[in-house]
Amino acid sequence: MKETFELINQMQADGVIGEYAIGGAVGAMLYLEPAATLDVDVFVTLPSSKSGLLSLAPIYEYLKARGCIEKREHIVIGGWPVQFISPSDELEREAVAQAVATELEGTPTRIMPAEHLVAIALRTGRAKDHARIVQFLDQNAVDRKKLEAVLKKHGLTPKWVQFNRRYLESAHG
Amino acid sequence: MGKQEMRKELASLSFSDKVKILEKLRERSLVFAEARRRRKEPKDASKGTLKDHEE
Repeated sequence: MKETFELINQMQADGVIGEYAIGGAVGAMLYLEPAATLDVDVFVTLPSSKSGLLSLAPIYEYLKARGCIEKREHIVIGGWPVQFISPSDELEREAVAQAVATELEGTPTRIMPAEHLVAIALRTGRAKDHARIVQFLDQNAVDRKKLEAVLKKHGLTPKWVQFNRRYLESAHG
Repeated sequence: MGKQEMRKELASLSFSDKVKILEKLRERSLVFAEARRRRKEPKDASKGTLKDHEE
């Protein structure tokens, strides 16, 4: 994965992408115990083209020219299937802008804040996302006040109340 | 060590150490997936042959 992050950083240095943040299971791993996953989700801001349209095509062209292979919605970098995602709303844009700097064996990288990972998981709402939220809470890996502020700002409080009723209140009697 | 303590200890590892574990987990998943695929292959092949005969 070190090689994966090195190439993503190079792509940023070359101006193909703007800011980026790792999300999904790999991002969550900064805060939680490692959990098996088969791919890496990278949220990227894209420099706008002359037409003003945002496209992931330059990323694929750049990587394919460096020997990376496209595999459905992923592109394999350093042996890891990577999915590049352009932030689709304010929550995801904020998650990229406020990403936390860390490093992998000396290679710098950026990961979404815990509160944004939880908010995005709540919004996505699959069983595995809910399980991850429970992990964040069980392990006190999230700042509850910050989380509530993020949820409120992005209109996710009703969903949070529902999640609490379903998973947390029932779990504690 | 209890499960909860073990999870806490794993969570407190550095990101680099966690990635090493993740890579091992992934290698293992890929080996299992490949083994499952190989076990399945002869069955599917024979099914295909029978179906071809039926058609």
